[in-house]
Amino acid sequence: MSALLEVEGLVKHYHVRGGGGLFGAPVVLKAVDGVSFAIPAGRTLGLVGESGCGKSTTARLVLGTLARDDGQVMFDGEPVGSVRDARWRSQRRAMQMVYQDPLSALDRRLTVGKQVMEPALVHGLGAAAERHEKALSIMDAVGLSSRFFDRYPHELSGGQRQRVVLARALILSPKLLVCDEPISALDVSIQAQVINLLVDLQEKFSLTYLFISHDLKVVRQVAHEVAVMYLGRVVERGDPEALFHAPAHPYTQALVGAIPTPRTRGRARAALQGDPPSPINTPPGCSFHPRCPRAEARCRSEAPLLRPLDDGRFAACHFPVLSTPAREAA
Amino acid sequence: MLGYIASRAFRALVTILLVLTFAFFILNATGDPAILILSADAPPEAIEAFREEWGLNAPLWKQYLGYLWNLAHGELGRSMRDGRDAWAVVSERIPVTLAITIPALIIKLVIGISAGIVAALWRDTWVDRLVMAFSVTGYTVPSFVLGLALMLVFAVQLGWLPAAGADSWRHAILPIITLGVAGAAVLARFTRSAMLEVLGQPFIRTGLAKGLVWRAVVIGHAFPNAAIPTLTIAGFMIGSLVAGAVVVESVFAWPGVGRLLVSAVGNRDLMVVQAILLLVTVTMVSANLIVDIVYGFVDPRLRTARGGPARGGT
Amino acid sequence: MSDASLPSTEVETSGRRRFFRAWPPAVLLALAWIAFIALVSIFADWLKPYDFMALDLRDRLAEPVFMDGTFRHLLGSDELGRDVLSRLIESVRMSLVIAFLSTLIAAGIGVSLGFLAAHFRGWVEQIILGAIDFMAAIPFLIIALAVLAFFGNTLTLFILLMGMHGWERIARITRGLAIAAKEQGYAAAASEIGASPFRVYGAHILPNIASTLIVAMTLNIPEVILLESGLSFLGLGVQPPLTSLGNMVGYGREYIQTAPWILLSPAVVIILTTLAVSVVGDWLRDRLDPTLR
Repeated sequence: MSALLEVEGLVKHYHVRGGGGLFGAPVVLKAVDGVSFAIPAGRTLGLVGESGCGKSTTARLVLGTLARDDGQVMFDGEPVGSVRDARWRSQRRAMQMVYQDPLSALDRRLTVGKQVMEPALVHGLGAAAERHEKALSIMDAVGLSSRFFDRYPHELSGGQRQRVVLARALILSPKLLVCDEPISALDVSIQAQVINLLVDLQEKFSLTYLFISHDLKVVRQVAHEVAVMYLGRVVERGDPEALFHAPAHPYTQALVGAIPTPRTRGRARAALQGDPPSPINTPPGCSFHPRCPRAEARCRSEAPLLRPLDDGRFAACHFPVLSTPAREAA
Repeated sequence: MLGYIASRAFRALVTILLVLTFAFFILNATGDPAILILSADAPPEAIEAFREEWGLNAPLWKQYLGYLWNLAHGELGRSMRDGRDAWAVVSERIPVTLAITIPALIIKLVIGISAGIVAALWRDTWVDRLVMAFSVTGYTVPSFVLGLALMLVFAVQLGWLPAAGADSWRHAILPIITLGVAGAAVLARFTRSAMLEVLGQPFIRTGLAKGLVWRAVVIGHAFPNAAIPTLTIAGFMIGSLVAGAVVVESVFAWPGVGRLLVSAVGNRDLMVVQAILLLVTVTMVSANLIVDIVYGFVDPRLRTARGGPARGGT
Repeated sequence: MSDASLPSTEVETSGRRRFFRAWPPAVLLALAWIAFIALVSIFADWLKPYDFMALDLRDRLAEPVFMDGTFRHLLGSDELGRDVLSRLIESVRMSLVIAFLSTLIAAGIGVSLGFLAAHFRGWVEQIILGAIDFMAAIPFLIIALAVLAFFGNTLTLFILLMGMHGWERIARITRGLAIAAKEQGYAAAASEIGASPFRVYGAHILPNIASTLIVAMTLNIPEVILLESGLSFLGLGVQPPLTSLGNMVGYGREYIQTAPWILLSPAVVIILTTLAVSVVGDWLRDRLDPTLR
């Protein structure tokens, strides 16, 4: 079967002024620079990377809430645009967003119930009584009791607020849910609950997730496939377990190495060196080379493409670490 | 800096042009000046002759271009009432108005700023409350009520000063006090809040913590910084030297620009009204421009924040 | 405005002291005065002892009670024998209605333009910002004078003209708040579920910035009262036979030597009303939105 969501060569560049005030030369900020992936229905793709690597921009481009500069997004066989026409509006019903900070994503002047019902109201679904009914059942599904219906967001805890955001996203019975760091603003004790809820909901409503996080550990729990992003590009893609146990790209390796687990304790961690990345003035060649412990001359001149490895994974590296420790000779 | 000045000056010019355009079309769209001046039952030949004389038969845009052309050559047209040069009619009133607005401005600046500073330095004492009570009147007592109250007390009841007219310097005292008191009240409140804000800043507390004398901190650090916001309102007051006395001049029958405007408006004397509008706009906009430029020198941050093409902020 | 309660870190004091901290006596007095004149305006037709235009030629320039007059004309009568109290009541109503309607108009214009600027940005915003600067740089009284006298003067036109006063401040505030709100999640979230801009601005952003706008509107009202009474004083505002507070003062000026009571009571009412609304406005600002200065 074909994928529910197919993204091909997504590009978003911003033109910003460089240093020096008004007279600084305009420079290009490559927020997203040729990202491709596909998610089959009912599956979860985890998108991982440091902040500023273009994950959230990718999310907004996929949803069509931000205009892309190049590339294509196909959702359920139809192209997704950013022009607010009839198709765009009808696609809102099928694809929804879950936000990082539920308190800011909710309107503090409206009750929980009104906000959960709002998408249905906007899309003119059902009569008022039906919307009310539907909202209560969705709230029940995300684990919010009906007594929260007339409460205001500031009266709720962080976890409850995120459930409201989920209920609001689910009331239109979407197929795709884009979750942008859905748990990073929550208490650690609540995070696991919300993760479990997301997994349960996926099963119950046969949802497809694009799950964005900076935390490889979290992604590993929910994703069927993982894509690692670095400076606007996907540098490695593949099965989460394979990726986690034997990262092929040095950047992935560094990310995995940064997770403190008993397993990694014995090994030498591949620590990141060099300046933190900036999407402005990305270096020529492989954009990771200034921080890469294995960079060689070729990396400074030639950008590596995302190529399949032997085990079905993809990596954009001239010298990927293969599952066997043997290293390709330069 | 040059770019900043140029951009402010350009905006000032645009503002003046907008006012002129606005005034011209509003005043011309309101009715036929020939009929307004000569009354509707004047003989048709007289109306026609009037229209011919004033170029009222040309299309509106031609009249407008002609108007701008004449302005560019220093021609403001002639008063439709008595045929005199409109600028002459207006300009002879300017010194009369300045005779009360300049002394009033000095009163405003001296009393207003010092009262504001005193109130801020002795915050929450009876001095502060007195100044604030006084400053509230500046916001809530209309100048015509204040003027009439002064007139009632000093002219009618006590008989110390003449009630109205412009025959001697004693006639100027009540209008000057009326204008000065109201403005000083506004300025006092403004200065006070600017001072309080500055006094709360970390660098003042640092200065005190470093052992500097209170007086040195206030004079050396607080005054210069509080002066910046106060400059705005003072600039506005300077800009309104010519036009800020419309009501007060009417109260005291002081024959300045303001009264001329009221009567010209009553008489539908287009050219005189336009001349006054131009005068008022140019003074106002120039004062703002000067304040902006002074700002630019005093506070370099404002140059990019206010003048650049990428206008941000709120 | 349910979230207007102030966090109090002080030790719990007696109920009365806490009450007066939240509601200072000056504010209570101001509110009482506003309520009083509002009621007077509403019930003006029942409260007036005489018709405000009725002439009483036998009792012209009658002195008010507090100046040894009779109770026939409580606040005295004018040159034509018209009852000052009745005219005052009618004038209060007129001045309040003008101030209120004009402020609503100014708020309507200001909020619409502020939202337009925030929504479209770019050249639309530049034009609106230019108009705001223009309004702020121009002495409004002068423009108003010209417009009024040349358009002739109907009450509707006059109210519309007064509605042009102060919109630029509301527009500037609205634009700033709306831009800030758009960056916050809730507006973007509403927009991303497919809500129309009307819904995003009307149902989400407007309620969130309403408290600040109400403060700005309250602070606009005394200014309009002063402007209106000033123009009416010059004889270029509300036209006879209608009457407003400024009108009464302007008329009373002619009799300042012989019958000062004609202008006394309207002058006092103007001062008290602008004072009361300013006090309440400042108090609301401190309570609801200390950032608005």
